Amino acid sequence: MQQSHAASPASRLPILVFIAWRNIWRSPVRSILTISALASGLVMVILYAAMMEGMIRQMVHQATAISVGHLQVHRQAYIDDQDLYATLPWSYLDKIRQDIPGIQVAPRLYASGLASTAETSTGVLIKAVDPRREAEVTQMLEQVRSGTLELGRASDSKEGLPRYNLVIGAQLAKNMNLAPGSELILVTQAADGSVGNALYRIAAVLKPLEPNFDRMGVLMLIEAYQKLMYLDDGFHELAIHVDDITRLEAVQAELDAELKRLMAAQPLDELGGKPVVRNWRQLTPMVADMLEMSKMITFVVGFIVISLASMGMLNTMLMAVHERTHEFGILLAIGMKRRWLLLMVLLESLFLALVSALAGVALGAGVVSLFGERGIDLSGTLPDGYDWGGLVFEPYLQLHLAPADLLNASLLMIVITLLAALMPAWRTVRLKPAEAMR
Amino acid sequence: MALLSLHGIGKRYRQGEVEVSALQGIDLEIEEGEFVALVGPSGSGKTTLLNIVGGLDAPSEGRTELNGTDITTLKEARLSDFRLFQLGFIFQAYNLVPVLSALENVELVMVMQGRPAEDRRRRAQHYLDLVGLDKVMHRRPSALSGGQQQRVAVARALAAGPRLVLADEPTANLDSENATALLDIMHRLARKQKTTFIFSTHDQRVMERAERIVTLRDGKIVDDRRVEARHHEHAD
Repeated sequence: MQQSHAASPASRLPILVFIAWRNIWRSPVRSILTISALASGLVMVILYAAMMEGMIRQMVHQATAISVGHLQVHRQAYIDDQDLYATLPWSYLDKIRQDIPGIQVAPRLYASGLASTAETSTGVLIKAVDPRREAEVTQMLEQVRSGTLELGRASDSKEGLPRYNLVIGAQLAKNMNLAPGSELILVTQAADGSVGNALYRIAAVLKPLEPNFDRMGVLMLIEAYQKLMYLDDGFHELAIHVDDITRLEAVQAELDAELKRLMAAQPLDELGGKPVVRNWRQLTPMVADMLEMSKMITFVVGFIVISLASMGMLNTMLMAVHERTHEFGILLAIGMKRRWLLLMVLLESLFLALVSALAGVALGAGVVSLFGERGIDLSGTLPDGYDWGGLVFEPYLQLHLAPADLLNASLLMIVITLLAALMPAWRTVRLKPAEAMR
Repeated sequence: MALLSLHGIGKRYRQGEVEVSALQGIDLEIEEGEFVALVGPSGSGKTTLLNIVGGLDAPSEGRTELNGTDITTLKEARLSDFRLFQLGFIFQAYNLVPVLSALENVELVMVMQGRPAEDRRRRAQHYLDLVGLDKVMHRRPSALSGGQQQRVAVARALAAGPRLVLADEPTANLDSENATALLDIMHRLARKQKTTFIFSTHDQRVMERAERIVTLRDGKIVDDRRVEARHHEHAD
């Protein structure tokens, strides 16, 4: 007769859940302290993850929107040696624009040269752009620190020579003591082997964008470049903005195919090599690596912080189990199975972890939203921003909360606290009822 | 056939280097429906014997047969089921789960048995009514007196429908009025349910309530006699 009521083990779960939930409120002060420790740990992990995520977003934004764009096309020889003659023909530009929808393109040309003023001279990196197209692809030209962005023709110089405007990097301006309105002479070896030189007027100084440009960058119109360099058959770089970033890989493949077609129709010289399409991850491998690494670091930091916090949980559960030895003895005596007792203790830990997770998530999300998208302002100590991974960041730590991070941090905490609860739970399993009740 | 038969039960403990003999050569038979007091001074082996009968402790030698089953050979899981379905336990004190109400405590064993919710709720209420606690069944143990808590333990032990109820000094923490009242309730229910009771005590007034008194001294049965129980029978 005795087994006639045997039901599925699931029928005991509600009462175990019920007892476990009430048990955690038996010592409210102790439970609240444990929950506070776990929730604080979680808040720290959430803040850290939000900071890392914010930094990554800034980094990706900086990497793509400010100067690199989503995709770039170069010829192999330009990638390998910055070969001045490894250009892509202008006809390719029009074809690509016609054939591939959903992208914006901006051609760029580069050269190195010597910049001189009356007092000083230094090596510079000349970058030529089409301002209208550039604005469709990147925000580079919006990053003006001083002056106005006019890349066109300036008024004639004192000597009556026609001059073009230049925009230069902040560090270069500082080093050469230049300001908007100053004049600058550029000397370079032109494409035909002659010495090209011309007088320019500084129209604007850019904010720090990337360390190289900041130190050595000189920006000019493609028209001005062609007059200086005698190089008008093509461009070195095509920066591309993809309207739907989720199609990045697809567009990259389309571009590859398009370039093969173009090469078949209009072959390129052997020396410059084939055109190569690279996406922003390939162009800024440091950023891509940092992205991967920061995820790993966030996990390790989270693991350490939560493991420390869960020591509080371990202590609470050890005490709770110790205090209730007699009670567990009675439960075992009246027929409770050891595995139910184990489950009950684990449920208590789970409830502590769940309450902590809810409190931690609410508090963490609250703190992040308190700082807002602008994040933590560092402009007091770092007015020029900071340089990390080859990119210059604006002087604030953006906080961004990804829902996946909240979930992952909470799950991490629940798993760690349950692991910490295994030891006290295991003690209940080894109890002998007669000894436990003594 | 006797409900419970003990054959040559012995129990030895090691206390450091010394071996202590708690029980020696215990032979005892208890029939269905008996109301037995296990008496003797402190340290005479009463609790150890009850623990062995209840399968909470294993004897060093001998056999315990309950309803034809040799429980000394049962594995842990079977023994647990055996206690759950065949035995009821009442301990000295702190019998109850503090976070559950009286009603929930009585239901707990039946939940573990897997009885349907309606059935166990009805039985729990019925037995709490029988022990006179129907008015306070929703209180937690901390809001009940010691005597009330022990009555909840009696209701819990009986509501699960055991063959045998083991009570280890159930009145030890009660004053004499509550102690005799508890015994009267136990006796009345034992008669009514035809449930067998074995309880240990060293309280003279409590042992007077028994129908059979088994006396232990130094781990041996020194006396076993049937007596005329003195009870204040309540009209049911």
